[in-house]
Order: sequence, then C-alpha cells, then structure tokens
Amino acid sequence: MICRQPAREERTQINRALGRWGAFEFFKHKPLIIQEVGTKKKIVCLVTGDIEKAIQVMEDPYSAGLAIGELKKQFIPSIAGADLFARYGRRNKYYITVGEKAENLVLYGRDIMGESIEAASDALDENELVIVLNTAFEAIAVGRTRFAGRSLFQKGRVTVSTIADAGYYLREEG
Amino acid sequence: MQRVIIIIIIKSENVRKTFHGLTLIFPKSAESESLASKYAYDEWLVSRFLEYVPRVEDFLSKMERLPTQYIRVNTLKTSRQELENRLRSKGFELRNTIMPEVLAVNKAPLATGATTEYLLGLYYIQDLGSCLAVDALGVAEGQAVLDVAAAPGGKTTFIAQKMNNTGSIIALEPNGRRARSMSFNIMRCGVYNTSIFRMDGLQASKFEMKFDRVLLDAPCSCEGVIAKDITRKTSHTPQDVDYCSRMQDKLIEIAARCVKPSGILLYSTCSFAPEENEMVIDRLLQKSGNITVEPVRHGSRGGLTKFGDWTFDHQLKNALRLYPHIDDTTGFFIARLRVN
Repeated sequence: MICRQPAREERTQINRALGRWGAFEFFKHKPLIIQEVGTKKKIVCLVTGDIEKAIQVMEDPYSAGLAIGELKKQFIPSIAGADLFARYGRRNKYYITVGEKAENLVLYGRDIMGESIEAASDALDENELVIVLNTAFEAIAVGRTRFAGRSLFQKGRVTVSTIADAGYYLREEG
Repeated sequence: MQRVIIIIIIKSENVRKTFHGLTLIFPKSAESESLASKYAYDEWLVSRFLEYVPRVEDFLSKMERLPTQYIRVNTLKTSRQELENRLRSKGFELRNTIMPEVLAVNKAPLATGATTEYLLGLYYIQDLGSCLAVDALGVAEGQAVLDVAAAPGGKTTFIAQKMNNTGSIIALEPNGRRARSMSFNIMRCGVYNTSIFRMDGLQASKFEMKFDRVLLDAPCSCEGVIAKDITRKTSHTPQDVDYCSRMQDKLIEIAARCVKPSGILLYSTCSFAPEENEMVIDRLLQKSGNITVEPVRHGSRGGLTKFGDWTFDHQLKNALRLYPHIDDTTGFFIARLRVN
C-alpha cells in the first residue's frame, strides 16, 4: 500500500469536502495523507505528524492513521470521518437526524424511511450525501438523499439510502 | 515439521520432575489427581498449578464460571460519567474498578458488544488485566510506541487513548484477518496516531527507529483464559508451553533491541506458566546485563523467584501476577523492564 501527500488538486477536493461538512477549521493544521489501494482506490487518512514521519522511514504500512473518507469523483466520508465531522464540525444542511427506532435499523445497514427522519434541511437536494445523526447528534451513518426538501419526510418510502453505517464493523467481523 | 522433545528425568530430594523440552512436569499426587478428576483437567496441568497458583481449588472453581466482563471507557470520545449514565439508562449495572477508565459489568440487558455505544466506539470490551498492562507501560503524550503483537487492538487503542492521539504507535500484526479486525477497532475508537504493519514481531529489529515504549504482549499458551475456553483443560499440552517459551525468548530479545536508552519494555502474557514468564525475563536479564525490572503499580502478587529447582533473578518479585480468583481478572503476567 502506498502512502503519499495529497496532490494539489486532491487537497483542494478534500478541503472543499471538509468545508461542506463544516469541519475545515478542525482539520486545518492536521496532516492528511492519501493511501492508495490497488490502482484506483484513494483513501484519505488523518494522521499525526509523527506517524507521517514514521511511515516515510518504514515502508508499506497496512494502514496509517484514521481513514476519514475516500476520494472518488466526490469525497465520500467513512463512518470514522463522519464521526469526526459531527463531533468537531458545524452542523449544517448536510446533516439529518433520525429517531431512536430508526437508529437501530440504520445500524443494521437499513435504508431510512421518511417517517424516521426527525430533522432535515428544506434546502437539501436529491442525490446529496448526508451524515445521519442519532438524537444525541452522533454520526451513525452516511447516506444519500433520494428526494429533495420536504419530500424527505414522506411516509412509507425510503427517502435516504444508507451507504455506510457504524454497524458495519460488527457485521464484517462477525 | 517434525518436533523433537527431549525428556530428562532428574532426581532431587525424592521428587521426580520431568522436563518436556523446557516445561517442568511434577509428579502426580493424590491431591493433583483428585482435583484434576473433579474439575476435568489433565493431571499434569493441575500438578503444576499446585506449584505456582495460590489456593488452587478456589482457582479451579473460579475457572468454572465465566470471567467478569469489563469495559474500558474510550476517553477519546466520551467521559466515564457520560457513558455510565447512558448505559445505566439502558439497564446496565456497572461498578468501579481500581482503574478509573475501566468499569465492571454486573448486569447487561443486551449484548455488551452490540449496543449503539459500542458501535460508536464509546467503549471497548477489555479485561482489567489487559488494561493494567497498558497502565504499567506508562506512556506519555508525544512518545513513540511499538506494539509488537498488536491485534485485535485493545491495548493499542488504550495506549492511543492514554497518549491523547498524539505521537506515534507502530502496531505489528502478521495475520491479514487479524490486521483487518484491528483496523476496524482503530476506526471505531477514532484512533489516528497508529499505523499497522503486517509484520511478524521477529522482524521488528529491521526498523531503523527506536521507541520510548515497547509493548510485547507475547503469544502464549493462554493458561489464564481457561474460563473462556474450557477445552484448554485437556487440549493444552506441555509442548505448547515449551513452544511458546522458546518463541517468547526470541521475541523479547528483539523487542528489547527496539527500545531507546532508558525506555521501557512491557512484557505480558495471559499465561501463568513460569516458563513463559519469569523464565523468559530471567534469561533476558542474564543475557543483557543492562535491563532492570521495575515495580508495577496495583500489584499485590509479585512474580516468582523460585519454581521447582529453578531460581530466578530477585528483581522478578517486581513483576505482577494476576489470578482470576484473587484479582477477578483473567490470568495475567506483567513485567515492566527498563532498558538502560
């Protein structure tokens, strides 16, 4: 696995994403590296300065720091990244909140029904990436909206697809 | 691979002891046979326990019950008070332990490993003995730490927590499946000062870096966790102890070479066998000449200085032995070594 500094355009893309999630300030002075997996996958990892130096000396790590997301056409946050954004970022329209019952379903990887959403911005568009919070404002999933604005609350329909959730660790290990 | 086991019989004060490789086997006695039969152990194991486990019948009886479950609060993400409140509101009954970060679970209305709080990385299910080993390592913010046999990452993530996600932890794990599992735990706990290398601890001396702290939680015969896996009562063999002891000898020598001058090497196992603990440290002390054994905090029972006909360096009394029936942990051995 290759670890390297982000190229300028990658850094721009990451900064834009951090801004989107209201977390730019938190990450401003923190080292981020790119882990290349195979030929296509580019994982963005938060590291300490000491880890950044250490992996220059010790080659070929299996992992380095905390994978906060993946760079595709868009930056897709991982659950660990979403957790940091929700914890240290400013919540904005890209965060939605679900109730307790839905929380348990989301943690099993289920998509989100309209009636489960407790709070979402009217300004959200269709096909937007969102961080899904529980009522304690903790990130439990990353999702993608299927509808825009008030339509997200419509009953009896899946309105947000879950693309990653915190239950993943348990399901994968089990 | 064919293995040759050398059996030597020595006579001393009318007691016949047999060695299977390095493993010392004591003669049968009425007591060892009776206890082995009562608790369904191989006799050789009980006859050894009689030599180094205090109050053996209490110990065997305790091993019949599941060990106490402990959770370690992940202070990178929450406070103890906040976690306690959340889990208590779900019906958990918790009690304090000798470590402020660790809580014992008296009652769990649902699986401790399936709560939202667990999935969000607010706690880690980890035995108190394992946490005490990390405590004995005595890490500080900004240090460089090497974790030689790291998966599944309980100790690594606790070290990261104690370092407040600063400095660096290099974690070694040769097995791909275990490394993956460890990376999940690192992500769940929000740790970003750690890098995992798929590497055997025996290769650690290749690193050009030296470390302030090195943790060697050595692969062992797991005598201390029989309560979790009762098949070990009869599947455990003297050859296992012998094999582990030889492996531990190699690992500890390499681990010691990775420590900066005046740094700390923390050696631990979840075995009671002196061949895997005191004997390994004793041989290292004899070979190196520049290593001292420092006292471990929270210790009530020190390491052995005598076992069978062997005597060990007197400094081994500074090590710590944890027993399930005395300390309410899984069985553990911890030695804090200062590399001068």
